[in-house]
Amino acid sequence: MAEVVLQNVGKSYGSVVAVRDFNLTIADQEFVVLVGPSGCGKSTTLRMVAGLEEITAGAIAIGGRVVNELPPKDRDIAMVFQNYALYQHMSVRDNLAFGLRNRRVPEAEIDAQIARAVRMLGIEPLLDRRPRQLSGGQQQRVALGRCLVRNPKVFLFDEPLSNLDAQLRSQMRLELKELRKRVPTTSIYVTHDQVEAMTLGDRIVVMKDGLVQQVGSPLDLYRRPANRFVAGFIGSPAMNFIDVRVAAQGDGVTVAAEGLSLGLGGRPAAVLRTHAGGTVTMGVRPQHLLLGAAGGGLVRFGATLSTSEQLGDQQLLDARLGGAYLRVAGIDAALKLAEGTALDLAVAPENLHFFDAASGAALG
Amino acid sequence: MTAAAPPAPLAFAPPPRKGFFAALAPGGAKALFALAVAGIAFLFAFPVLWLGLTSLRPASGVYFVHRGTEFTLRNYAEALAQPNMLEAFFNSFAISTLATVLSLGVTVTSGYMLSRFKGPIPGAWFSVIYVLRCVPYISWVLPLFFVTRQLGIFDTYWGLLLPHVAVHICFFSWIMKGFFDGIDPSMEYAALIDGCTRWGAFFRVALPSAIPGLTALAILCWLYTWNEFLFALLLTSHKTPILTVIMAQFVHELGMEWHLMSATAIMALVPALIVTAFGQKYVIRGLRI
Repeated sequence: MAEVVLQNVGKSYGSVVAVRDFNLTIADQEFVVLVGPSGCGKSTTLRMVAGLEEITAGAIAIGGRVVNELPPKDRDIAMVFQNYALYQHMSVRDNLAFGLRNRRVPEAEIDAQIARAVRMLGIEPLLDRRPRQLSGGQQQRVALGRCLVRNPKVFLFDEPLSNLDAQLRSQMRLELKELRKRVPTTSIYVTHDQVEAMTLGDRIVVMKDGLVQQVGSPLDLYRRPANRFVAGFIGSPAMNFIDVRVAAQGDGVTVAAEGLSLGLGGRPAAVLRTHAGGTVTMGVRPQHLLLGAAGGGLVRFGATLSTSEQLGDQQLLDARLGGAYLRVAGIDAALKLAEGTALDLAVAPENLHFFDAASGAALG
Repeated sequence: MTAAAPPAPLAFAPPPRKGFFAALAPGGAKALFALAVAGIAFLFAFPVLWLGLTSLRPASGVYFVHRGTEFTLRNYAEALAQPNMLEAFFNSFAISTLATVLSLGVTVTSGYMLSRFKGPIPGAWFSVIYVLRCVPYISWVLPLFFVTRQLGIFDTYWGLLLPHVAVHICFFSWIMKGFFDGIDPSMEYAALIDGCTRWGAFFRVALPSAIPGLTALAILCWLYTWNEFLFALLLTSHKTPILTVIMAQFVHELGMEWHLMSATAIMALVPALIVTAFGQKYVIRGLRI
């Protein structure tokens, strides 16, 4: 049981900075997901916690003890790797026992721990096989088992599901969630898949270019992204962005772009008034764009259907608005729309996001 | 109701195969291939077969191997009775085995360092190996001759072993690096987290995974030393007879004793053949690198 604290942690390779000024306190038993595109420094951060990378700035503490100088074996952590990293020359049983034997745990206790882990993961029949005789999903279960038997203070996951096919990945995701309930342990999970991040994390840390962009609960990140990068990264399909000109009009404001002119009041207007005469980036999620919706309180605009993608349960539309394209999600799959159809779109003003056109920071 | 019409033939029937192989009778292409393989195998085996035949012919018949009908095993007895012959067999065997063990001992760690570590020391070591590999083999001999004399190890086991080991390290570190490059390092990271030290991760996880490659290298290394002639010729004398040198001594001022040389060569083939037969799988793997 341990709290993990990262304080001003940094990592540079010569003049190349991989991670900059990383600050985070992970509570005991909390599940934190680090997410971001390739090369954003998330794996490096995880490897620094594991002790596989030296820390060039700041400090990392696990369970109240600074571990900067401790070798990985003394940090009381366990790690699941992307490519499973099972010992190929050992049976599954020996793979599971390896860490415990290194710590001179009595054989009887090792057997008991292995029995408990394999029962939990449903891998009893595989114990005497070699890793290469197992499927990807089975190998990943063994890798999880290797962590479970150790009862470590912290679990570290380095993109553990990304080598699995889509169906297996979603199944393993559920199993991981289930496992969390049964073995509540402080966990840090690295992924580039925002769906994994959203479904697994108590909190999500979004990273880009070695910098933390935002830390928050999945819903926080979805509803109140701190900047344009987070807004575009979290949520699928990705948020639509249009640069709009802001003009003050009476109590409210008007935002306009080619083929678009929306009159806004209330909170958006309060936020945007200071930018009157300037340009800001407007963001709207594809799910928040409504087709032919009735009702008050919505702002409406027209667009032209460019293409549609049939997903079976719904359609995704690609709508042209002046020079820009907007994606619209959640359209009735049975609805037949010809290319070039004029679309009557609407959106609730509270679902509009605005970002500074230059810095990308969220406004308001 | 009418019966369903039979399916229309495919609009795109595969085009008929043209060319020489299509014109052959069924199985003809296979037979031709087998014949070609047999021909190539014969081409390579021919010198060995000829060597075997020569070793069975009396001294008077070696120039007419294809004609005479007289065969004898006396050549083998005579060859074995030569002074130093048995000792040479033993020495060659001992040197080959020791050179394999010693050079692989160094090569494994050196290859691992080149594969896993970055920085000035591996960089410098890599450069040294690279430069040494570029030096023509024969140009080593004269300096080594002087060095071994200076050190007082000329014509001893050490005098031949150390140069062999040095050359093997240069040649095989590179190959060993390739083996380790093919082994996923995250296995070693997992071992570090599972309670191993860096050395522990190397010995208990990386090394066992490299066993197939190591075996291939061991076989190649052994065969190479067993067959080596140049170092043996120049760095040994009568105190440490080596098989390849003894074999060459059948060519002397009074003529060439092909029958004895062939008999010795066939006997020298046997250990190499045994090593190759047992490790064929690994040798093929080793030859591919």
